[in-house]
Amino acid sequence: MDHRSRAWENQPPTRLEMMAIGRDKSFFTFDLQKVIDELGCDALLAHLQKMLLIRNLEIRGEAAYQNGKVGGFYHSYIGQEAIQTGCVAAAGDQHWYTTTYRCHALALLLGATPNEIMAELFGKETGNAKGRGGSMHLFTDRLLGGLAIVGGQVPIATGAAFSIKYQKQKGMASFCFLGEGAVAQGAFHESLNLASLWNLPAIYVIENNHWGMGTAANRAIAVDPIADHLSKSYDMRSIRVDGMDFFACYAAFKEALAVVLKTSRPILIEADTQRFRGHSISDPGQYRSKEELRWAMERDPIALMKTVLILHNMLTEEEFRKMDLEQRDKVLAAVSFAEASPWPSTVSLEEGVMAP
Amino acid sequence: MGLQTVEIREALRQALDEEMARDERVFLIGEEVGEYNGAYKVSKGLLDKWGPMRVLDTPISENGFTGLAIGAAMTGLRPVVEYMSWNFSFVAADQLISNACKMHYMSGGRFNVPIVLRGCNGSAAQVSCQHSHCVEAIYGNLPGWVIVSPSNAYDAKGLLKAAIRFNNPVLFLENELDYGDKMDIPQDEYIVEIGKGKVIKEGRDATIVSYSRMLKSCVAAAREMEKNGYSIEIIDLRTVKPVDIALIAASIRKTHRCLLVEEGHRFAGICAEIGFQIMEHCFDDLDVPLERVCQRETPMPYSKVLEQETIPNPERITAALKRLFN
Repeated sequence: MDHRSRAWENQPPTRLEMMAIGRDKSFFTFDLQKVIDELGCDALLAHLQKMLLIRNLEIRGEAAYQNGKVGGFYHSYIGQEAIQTGCVAAAGDQHWYTTTYRCHALALLLGATPNEIMAELFGKETGNAKGRGGSMHLFTDRLLGGLAIVGGQVPIATGAAFSIKYQKQKGMASFCFLGEGAVAQGAFHESLNLASLWNLPAIYVIENNHWGMGTAANRAIAVDPIADHLSKSYDMRSIRVDGMDFFACYAAFKEALAVVLKTSRPILIEADTQRFRGHSISDPGQYRSKEELRWAMERDPIALMKTVLILHNMLTEEEFRKMDLEQRDKVLAAVSFAEASPWPSTVSLEEGVMAP
Repeated sequence: MGLQTVEIREALRQALDEEMARDERVFLIGEEVGEYNGAYKVSKGLLDKWGPMRVLDTPISENGFTGLAIGAAMTGLRPVVEYMSWNFSFVAADQLISNACKMHYMSGGRFNVPIVLRGCNGSAAQVSCQHSHCVEAIYGNLPGWVIVSPSNAYDAKGLLKAAIRFNNPVLFLENELDYGDKMDIPQDEYIVEIGKGKVIKEGRDATIVSYSRMLKSCVAAAREMEKNGYSIEIIDLRTVKPVDIALIAASIRKTHRCLLVEEGHRFAGICAEIGFQIMEHCFDDLDVPLERVCQRETPMPYSKVLEQETIPNPERITAALKRLFN
């Protein structure tokens, strides 16, 4: 029995829903109707809209890259939207957050505007980090980065958790996103050891998209599922969740945060997901079979959420198309803003190396 | 103002204690800093006084606890990280290089990293190839932090207090062999400004620029030269980066000769950098080419005979001074 067949027992599952059930691994179980009731129609539509905004921003960002407007590396979050959207929906934006180079979505969810993100991609003065950071280094008042050495962000997030405990800040946790590839790094293990040893309110989220660049997870990581195995090594709880399902992610993060706040113990989450693009824009992804990619894209988190909302009479196809176009227009306006923005003054090049 | 006679380790301990009293965001983290009272007893008694939330014994996990401290610094705290030796910082190089020194710039000014990373630098007594590194040239190549290297108890205390109040990362380099050096320092609170060198001995005929433990050998060499009637000025940099080039230039305008001495290696070392800055600022004031004495291009050998030969010693420094007058 899968959670979805219980939650949807009054309706025969569609083919898409069947795909969304996922593979024969034990995902976190939750009550879909409870999540829907808890969030309500307006909030659910707002979260779907955020996922569409992320999707549109990535599509237009990649197009700008192909047009030579964006340089460096470009790592798209397309396919993984449900995870961070579900997380911020469940936890709110007043915790500490840290993530990888694949950071556009989390910056958006934590309040960075499409304008400032697109301007940063374009390397403009009006950018999120004044053109200093670029695609891999976005920040907000609550986002510690956008840090682009694999695994290097995990000790930073652990430090934010330490800071919360040191300052006795109630109701706060430190969320740390990492790819499954980072699990092979010492920084990850040192952090989990410290967080468990010192009872830190840290929530480590392995976004397992099954590929560390072109290396399949089972060729890089000795255990599977990752979180279930490694959490035991550090005396932590773990949750394994279907990362393509917004509702599952929402419920899992809600529970994880409650547990962490109650126990002041860290937790390890593994969100099973798929990126629909290569590792970065320069990666055609030829290591992945067409069947696998097609299968992955049939579990599109946006399509899945849309289907559920339509089934629950909260959304029509027409309204969805309209919502998508509105997000596209916001992003196109951001592209125009970035185009029109001034370059950073080269006179300012050496400013900001040191804090005042 | 009353004086007290203290060792460098006590001067450092007083700086930590005073700053922890002054600012509750300041905490000390590292291996053996708490229950063991510090591998070199710099943190003696601090755990008893401030408790385990402010004096944290870590596992042997430099990359983890350095990153943790950087994250804590980004989120409102002011950590002091003790490396039992700077050699162990290499395990944490990613956190130092990728995060600590560029976070402010990379985030468009959003996040500061007010952190002090301290411990003993350079060679000790025959600790061989892996425990004798001078890190200032390695880390000094990167913008975004300050490197401080005091040579005595007065500067050690005043500079550590300034470093803890500084809003950027400070690499604070101490010396295992010098922790017991005694000096009279004020009983009252004082600060030594970061970025300012000091003339520790005035002279007319040549300038020696050095810092930290090498100054003892420089003073010995200068005395040797004085027997032959040469008057040697000695500058203690105190802060290695940014270097106080104005002080150096002013001295060279007086002496017209300059020798640079560092414990670390020759290639791309601190002397190489300062020598170039001297050329940029006061080339015309030099009567003769610069000289330098550095660690020879070998890993640190174990045997004390070899160790003494690769580290700058008074004999090599005296020989270099003599070359300035040939």
